[in-house]
Amino acid sequence: MSQLSQTEGQLLELDRLAVTFYTPRATVRAVRDLSIEIRRGEVLGLVGESGCGKSTAAFAIMGYLPGTTRVDGSILFEGRDIAHMGDSDLRELRGNRIAMVYQDPATSLNPSMRIGTQVQEVLREHLDLDSRQVRERMIELFESVRLADPEAIGQRYPHQLSGGMQQRVVIAMALACDPLLLIMDEPTTGLDVTTEATILDLIVELKDRVNAGILFVSHNLGVIARVADRVAVMYAGEIVEQATVGELFKNPRHPYTAGLLSCVPRPPGDDGIERKLSSIPGSVLDAQIEGGESCLFADRCPLAQDACTAQVPPMTDLDGHLSKCLFPDDVHSGIWGESQERNKELIPEEPIPVLNAHSLRKFYGRERKKYLLFGPPVQQRVRALIDVDMKVGTGRTLGVVGESGSGKSTAAKTIVGLVPKDGGKLELRGQNLADGVQHRSKEQRAAMRMVFQNPTASLNPKLPIRHSIIRALRKFAGLSRDESRERAEQLLEAVGLDPSYLDRPPSELSGGQQQRVALAGAFAASPDLIVADEAVSSLDVSVQAQVLNLLEEHQRESGNSYVFITHDLGVVRYVSDDILVLYAGHVAEYGPSEAVLGSPSHPYTEALLSAAPIPDPEATQNQIRLEGSVPTLHSAFKGCFFAGRCPRKIGDICDTSTPPEQAGSHGEGHIINCHIPVEELAIIQQQPFQNGVSVT
Amino acid sequence: MAIEELDSQITTGGANALLKGASRKARRGLSIALRTNSGRIGFALVAFHLFLAIFGPSLTPYSPTDFTSEDLKIRLTGPSMEHLLGTDGFGRDVLSRVVAGARSIIWISFIGTVLGITLGTIVGMTSGYIGGKTDQAIMRGVDVFLAFPGLLLALLVINLGVQRIGIDLWPSKEAWLVIITIGIAFMPANSRVIRSAALAIKPLEFVQSARLRGESSFYIIFREVLPNIIPVVAVEASIRVSFALLLTAGLGFLGLGVQPPTPDWGLMVSENREFLSIAPWAALAPAMAMASLVVGVNLLTDGVREAAQLPISQEAS
Repeated sequence: MSQLSQTEGQLLELDRLAVTFYTPRATVRAVRDLSIEIRRGEVLGLVGESGCGKSTAAFAIMGYLPGTTRVDGSILFEGRDIAHMGDSDLRELRGNRIAMVYQDPATSLNPSMRIGTQVQEVLREHLDLDSRQVRERMIELFESVRLADPEAIGQRYPHQLSGGMQQRVVIAMALACDPLLLIMDEPTTGLDVTTEATILDLIVELKDRVNAGILFVSHNLGVIARVADRVAVMYAGEIVEQATVGELFKNPRHPYTAGLLSCVPRPPGDDGIERKLSSIPGSVLDAQIEGGESCLFADRCPLAQDACTAQVPPMTDLDGHLSKCLFPDDVHSGIWGESQERNKELIPEEPIPVLNAHSLRKFYGRERKKYLLFGPPVQQRVRALIDVDMKVGTGRTLGVVGESGSGKSTAAKTIVGLVPKDGGKLELRGQNLADGVQHRSKEQRAAMRMVFQNPTASLNPKLPIRHSIIRALRKFAGLSRDESRERAEQLLEAVGLDPSYLDRPPSELSGGQQQRVALAGAFAASPDLIVADEAVSSLDVSVQAQVLNLLEEHQRESGNSYVFITHDLGVVRYVSDDILVLYAGHVAEYGPSEAVLGSPSHPYTEALLSAAPIPDPEATQNQIRLEGSVPTLHSAFKGCFFAGRCPRKIGDICDTSTPPEQAGSHGEGHIINCHIPVEELAIIQQQPFQNGVSVT
Repeated sequence: MAIEELDSQITTGGANALLKGASRKARRGLSIALRTNSGRIGFALVAFHLFLAIFGPSLTPYSPTDFTSEDLKIRLTGPSMEHLLGTDGFGRDVLSRVVAGARSIIWISFIGTVLGITLGTIVGMTSGYIGGKTDQAIMRGVDVFLAFPGLLLALLVINLGVQRIGIDLWPSKEAWLVIITIGIAFMPANSRVIRSAALAIKPLEFVQSARLRGESSFYIIFREVLPNIIPVVAVEASIRVSFALLLTAGLGFLGLGVQPPTPDWGLMVSENREFLSIAPWAALAPAMAMASLVVGVNLLTDGVREAAQLPISQEAS
């Protein structure tokens, strides 16, 4: 450990750090002006939209930058400038004093090495230990990250672990040499909400235990609110605001922070009024543009005045709350548009639903017997959907939630006909829908469109963006070339893009713009139903809010329905009229939105809700945590599908008999598949719950 | 006017922009290829040979094919001021024959490669996109082709062709038969590479989105998938060209390609190999020409491969 004087002072001090990449194409100013400090035992959250330079800053501290990069300013680690340090000195620091945890645990671990060997490698490289001590230390590390069976788990390969366990191993490796500084770059972004919650718990716990400074980089305000002590908000390579977590979320002093906070869908406030999402127009200032003498946020800022573009605003210190704004006192939650109440007038229910799915079943793979036709089965089909019912009424939105592997995407693909179903019935406005999309009529295809998760992949990168829109118009509406071009221009304008974009290649558009183009293509044939598979998941909060508002507006105007698939409970709460909770291909709970999200609810819904990060450091949530991941099913369950991970498991009955379908609080339309009687669920869910036992 | 009308007839209007875009990308690709040393050297060598192929026959100091009784007196003389690379067994100027020989080998290999790549791309994309049992059937058929020895295939195609084709083709039947041989020989391996590239594109959302629009498989394969595997096709083609050159020269050496007295590098090596001990230049000169062309093509290929990788990685990020 270092000298006492240093443990008192700053561990890491970045002073006016600037990172510039020189590429043959352009000069990219990834980080422009970054000054932060981290003490030991403190978590500093670094938050901002993508393209703001968060990750570059993290890599700069590690010294992982390509040779053509220029680093200005200083990075002082324990008083030594590591920005301009030689390679061998840096190697001494990395892994030993400074450690990093990356976003994707699957790629940070070597897939061909046992995890124990990988952890031991780190220990041998940096510490002078004999092999027995190395082994002991490894077990100690596995224990400290709460991995079950620390003695034996080192024998496993990364693919034998779930995503959450892999990330625990990566954290264990980072902790191997008692680092003073831990850099975490979006460590939970690729994980399910339930797993994310357990990893965040671990990080909060580690903070107290290891006495290291942690730089926690994330785009998710909810995650930051849960782990950080102080938060620095980054915009276009600059720190624009810095404060303690409570202060920043309660009383933002920079318009950008206020904007980010008002973009996040959150539960209705105390008054019970649902508010419309605000959004930040435009996109992050291009890193290729030189800032000059202006506030970099001025072109998106609702408070911007002439003074803002005439000078670089100084960092103002308001009792320890730093803000890089000329008018920090004018910032309040209303600057991004008066919070309007959403008018959610329901279109009168029609007798025939737009979409009616009954006992939908889907299996993947093929069954094989040992001797072709006889013998024991050696390979069974994966059960992806089992008896799923759903109904979507006119102008209504059905939200489908669940962890990855719960069958959400399969449900979407089965509905639109990308994969054939293996049982059950699908009806569109009372008419039977054939299995594959190629067997459906043109009208049926036009009436049901799909929006995909990854906007970059949903547009052909080699064709101009007009292609998909015009093609849909010509196919479905039978328009001529000129007519469809004109209509395509209108559609682009309707989704808030300039018609001149039609002739551009997708690579010139940002992710949010690409997703709008995809929406324009989906809206093209005025469909009755749009299936959106994680359509906003890969977007930044500000853009996500724009897209959500766009979807809602379109629904109000044309009365179409949505099947909205997402893992984000905040989003699903915001958009859905009805919610379907899927687990391992089974319906856990199904009913009107308020009934499902309220109490009583299925234990799985309850666990999902308590895991979802809320962008409010003072929010109180039950700590119900699920370990492991959704099982892949090869044979039918004897008992309840959720029994293996259920925190409310009541006994043998859960393992031996199928749970009954109970009517929930909302009566007929609300289904809970659980052995625990609804009345009892209502009582036990009122009480605070702490998850003591972890199940793997 | 006629051209504009034709343009507007091309469906959905993307084809035009695509062509323009393709030539722009090819230019950009070449400029990136020229940034590497290997790309520059390769480009110089290939450009030199192309120059010979185009203008060579009109630059030769002596006739590459004809010889008189006077010439026979100076057969197999060494390099001199009159004959820089000496003379061959018939007293013909070796330099003139090497220079004139560039044309046949280059166009035959080039057209042969284009044929092989086109066939392979069509087979590979179709097989990869349709998948399932069709894919299995096509790929097993490809395996059969792959297992067939190349030389045997060449003998079969050329001998059969020479006997059975009654009409005369320009410039010679053998040249076209060599092209067909190259095409058939390259199709299987190429189709496998293209198939795997198509398999990587198939699950992407824009392909699914096209399926949901009710597009035909034909449309999806050629309009949605093909533009995305053009870089793979380009790299594959540039690698294959040097194989095609070697194959053409090899067939010429065996007497299966262009027939005498046409100057052909493979044929020249074969004709003059018996004089290797007394007049090595006559066989060595065409061999050196051949080697420099293949090396040049390979170096340029390296540059092209680098250029093809660049845009792909940019799109991925």
